[in-house]
Amino acid sequence: MSSEVILEAKNIYKSFSQVPVLQDVHLEVAKGEVHALMGENGAGKSTLIKILTGAYTKDQGSILWKGQEVEINSLKDCRQLGVSCIYQELSVIPVLTVAQNIYLGREPKIGKTGLIDHKRMNRMTQALIDQYNFPLHPKDTVGDLGIGLRQLTEILKGLSARSELLIMDEPTASLSGKEAEILFGIIESLKEKGFSVIYISHRLEEVYRLSDRLTILRDGKNKALLSRQEIEPLKMIQLMIGKEVDESEGSVKILTEKKESKTALKVEHLTCKGKFEDVSFTVQEGEIIGVGGLIGAGRTELVRCIYGADKYDSGAIYLHGKKFVPSSIRKSIKQGLGFVPEDRRGQGFIPLLSVKRNTALTNYDLIAKRALAITSKEELDMCLKAIRKMDIRPDDPDKPVGLLSGGNQQKVVLGKWLMRELKVLIVDEPTAGIDVGAKDEIYNLLRMLADNGVVVILVSSDLQELLRVSDRILVMRKGKIIKEFSEGTVTQADILEAASGLKEVRS
Amino acid sequence: MKRIKFERYSKVLLLLLFIAVLTILKPKSFPTVGNISNVLWSISVIGILVSGTVFPLLLGGIDLSIGSLMGLSACITVISIQKLNYANQSVFLGIGCAVIAGLVVGGFHGVVVTVFKVPPFLVTFATQSIVLGITQVLTNNKIISCLSPKLFTSIGLGRIGPFTFPIYLMLGIVLISYFVLNKTVFGRYVYAVGGNIEAARISGIDHQFVTVVSYMISGLTAAIGGVVLASMTQQGMASTGSGYETDVITAAVVGGVSLAGGEGKIQDAVIGAILVGLLNNGMNLVGVPSTNQGLIKGLVIIGAVALDVANKNDNKIRLFKAGKGVKKDV
Amino acid sequence: MKQSTVRKLISFGLLMVLVIGFSISSNYFLSSSNIFAIFRDASIVGIIGVGLTYVILTAGIDLSTGSMMALVGMVMANIYQYTLLPIWVMLLIGIAAGMTAGLFNGFIVTRLYLPEFIATLSTMGIYRALTYIIAIKKNGLITSQPMKTAAFVRLSGEIKGIYYVIIIFIIMVVIGQAILKYTRFGTNLYAVGSNIKAARLSGINTGRTRMTAYVIVGFCVAVATVFQTARMQCTTVLLGDGMEFNVIAAVVVGGCALDGGRGDVIGTLIGALFMAALNNGIYKFQINASYQLIIKGAIIIGIVVFDSWYNKKMEQASASRRIKEAVNEQ
Repeated sequence: MSSEVILEAKNIYKSFSQVPVLQDVHLEVAKGEVHALMGENGAGKSTLIKILTGAYTKDQGSILWKGQEVEINSLKDCRQLGVSCIYQELSVIPVLTVAQNIYLGREPKIGKTGLIDHKRMNRMTQALIDQYNFPLHPKDTVGDLGIGLRQLTEILKGLSARSELLIMDEPTASLSGKEAEILFGIIESLKEKGFSVIYISHRLEEVYRLSDRLTILRDGKNKALLSRQEIEPLKMIQLMIGKEVDESEGSVKILTEKKESKTALKVEHLTCKGKFEDVSFTVQEGEIIGVGGLIGAGRTELVRCIYGADKYDSGAIYLHGKKFVPSSIRKSIKQGLGFVPEDRRGQGFIPLLSVKRNTALTNYDLIAKRALAITSKEELDMCLKAIRKMDIRPDDPDKPVGLLSGGNQQKVVLGKWLMRELKVLIVDEPTAGIDVGAKDEIYNLLRMLADNGVVVILVSSDLQELLRVSDRILVMRKGKIIKEFSEGTVTQADILEAASGLKEVRS
Repeated sequence: MKRIKFERYSKVLLLLLFIAVLTILKPKSFPTVGNISNVLWSISVIGILVSGTVFPLLLGGIDLSIGSLMGLSACITVISIQKLNYANQSVFLGIGCAVIAGLVVGGFHGVVVTVFKVPPFLVTFATQSIVLGITQVLTNNKIISCLSPKLFTSIGLGRIGPFTFPIYLMLGIVLISYFVLNKTVFGRYVYAVGGNIEAARISGIDHQFVTVVSYMISGLTAAIGGVVLASMTQQGMASTGSGYETDVITAAVVGGVSLAGGEGKIQDAVIGAILVGLLNNGMNLVGVPSTNQGLIKGLVIIGAVALDVANKNDNKIRLFKAGKGVKKDV
Repeated sequence: MKQSTVRKLISFGLLMVLVIGFSISSNYFLSSSNIFAIFRDASIVGIIGVGLTYVILTAGIDLSTGSMMALVGMVMANIYQYTLLPIWVMLLIGIAAGMTAGLFNGFIVTRLYLPEFIATLSTMGIYRALTYIIAIKKNGLITSQPMKTAAFVRLSGEIKGIYYVIIIFIIMVVIGQAILKYTRFGTNLYAVGSNIKAARLSGINTGRTRMTAYVIVGFCVAVATVFQTARMQCTTVLLGDGMEFNVIAAVVVGGCALDGGRGDVIGTLIGALFMAALNNGIYKFQINASYQLIIKGAIIIGIVVFDSWYNKKMEQASASRRIKEAVNEQ
């Protein structure tokens, strides 16, 4: 890492609808540096990156590239500067080859004919591959490659466009161990060649291994800037989570053994190849079980299979002692399961339909008197009940849910489940993107449900939330349950350690 | 909410304006009993068809086969009646077979669309051809006339009060369609699947069932429309009903049914049907040859859909902005 | 072996099955004059198919090609009848007319954001109506429009049995495939059809790419029309009726996926030959034209369903292969 600064973002401010998301944030990257960017969900990492890549515009502050102030208003600007961003949704064209993808839009031509010179393109690609030592072949069709190699293709594309700075957002989330190793090797060799990388990740061992410096954001502000020697796992966690001492309120939970209670849900050796493996746990009636873990750990996949939205390969589920096979979602719902998906907008509600219609969506078996006909009155009554219970604002039953704020949308999504006699409610990242007030309301709701005997499975990446709400906590890592916290004290640090496998790093 | 109400008022206004213009332009030919009859006839057929085709449209799909299904249905009915010597029972048998044919073809569409993920426009475009071919074979490419029994002809030509029977039939079917779409669980499911198929699925809705039944309904109304048309014209031929699919889609789109699915009301589609009927009539009265009418109709569809798309983009931006709130950091 | 090659082999296999089947039942089928006749028919469909391949690669569709043919033919007929311009000028104007129609299609799709199928369904009607409007009427009647100048008719000629149109077709196939594989435009077509978001991110002007594809279709239609009318020595208002269907069938049989990103011109060549051989065989066996409609529709649905199933199988195989690799490592 040299001392020459290649990118500097200074005094960045950004708000959305009067809610500040970034306040006076700095980020500085030197040539040949791998600079890690860490922070909990909601800390502002991805907003900062979107500003750097032109997807958002900053409210205040300046960005300097090699000392000169620049304006980045689009991805094109960003690319022209020499910055490449590799997101999780890759932007490669599966039907084309590696070479074609790399040179898409700027293919080398044969003289003046305007025809693509495939031979030269392949040769140039091979040269790049050799130069950076990537395990790729120019003529491979990208569609046949695994995610790891597709990612490498995208990286190579950025390099070929003379990018000097690569931004990688959770690059190893969908990678296998081997693929991740290859990626690390490449990042390390790129570093030696003078390229810079902004590496965003929750995985402490990766950051620990790769980075020269680390910027930690918390609540939209800079919390710390650590140099390599200062990167020490425990310190990182404390800085991210924010309490110097583990014993502050909210970061420690004392788990008490639940009183004699019936086992409501039992999962045995549930496996879905490639997603999660040999998952077993039990939950008592009235218990809220939190499921922590990093992106890609398999949590969402697991709960979707329990609900019946996806199929699993082997294993068994028992509801109140009876074997339960989620053959159809309708059946699951009838048996008392409920599911609040992670992708609120894409799977949680129907934007064009009103609050009334959305709250009734899963509940027509309760409303419809005869098999077919509905009375609007019953629907309306149910909706009003939900609005009251959840405090949905505005309280207009006919308002299209797409027009509500994020928090209220989630209340509608939850509201419909509350109208049923639930046995198990699964919530996946229930408070993502929701303001603090609404968050509290949702937590109270979950607690109330549990007090009434409902099993709540809470999948969350928000450590504070997990601690506050759950009675017990499971942590998943790479498709397996790596740790179960069911008694004694547990801190946010404990969860994060388990989720990111830090113990392995330390030992 | 206000916006939607305004749109309906403006469509009704447009309707009245149309009628006024036509009356002024052609005072001798438009407001005559004979002409009004004609207009009502064509509105009733379009109305019957749109009441059923609105279902696949609400799902975000389409049914281009309804024209040729009408032809098939007309010919099946007429041939059955003929074969059974024009007895009254033959009418029921004929209609029954026609309806079954419509349901089967519709069911086929639904299955191919939802199980094999074939684009609806393509599968219905292809069956349009298949059904036409079958009808031609069935009729040996001849026109089959059917002037009796009275039971049959009264479907299309019978009078109750000032209006002919098809109008009442249309009203009845529209009411049924309205009832299903607005007062039954199935109707709710149609809007849900059309609005967001994944959210509907997660909520336990069997989208495959909804799809298959919706296309069957479209086939059913096409079959009924064919029977009515055969009765009106007292004949059946392979080209009966040809071209109606354009009118039906125009009626729906002008009536505010979004081609993307999830939006649209049957009441508005009926207003659209009236507008299309008046448009056709107007063009005929003014002397636009039938071969040239495709020009105006094509431009009308393009205009209506372009407006709809522009509105939706507007809405999308509104919805998107409203739902943002605090950005989430992932 | 690459999946696209396998798919073409399947189409080729189907073609061979057809050829063998027909030649067993008839000695005449494989005679050189019949083979050239098949090629000649394939050429008309295939020339349009080259352009349509581009459009379908971008995940679009064009239902108006048949009507475009009629329009181009009638434009040329007007030039022929009312001016003394030389034949080659008439041809140029015809080609310009075709490209203009294609441009209009592209405009509606890329600027007014209409879904392709509804846009081209509308223009299908518009172009056909325009054909009638500009048709030359004798005493108010439209008859077929003779175009008998030797210079023009010569285009339908042959050299050693090989019709000129076949030569042009082959040339267009070669150029069409070359453009697809060796130019940026060709790569862009695949990119747009496969992942339009990624294409945009890479700086490709997706609107212009799609627009160009539609204009190319217009060009191809015009070329095909020239040869068709030269052979018929006239043009009629009904020219090209049903052609859109044949062309889509050819492209789909040849392996183009309707959701874009897969297929090429060579596949379309095989598909065009297949459809032409099919038509030829059916005709020779004096199978009713109505059966042709049924068979063609059934083939389109059959092929698309097969493709959908086949692609799903391929993806599943590929996914489980990758999972096995991932699992083995752990």
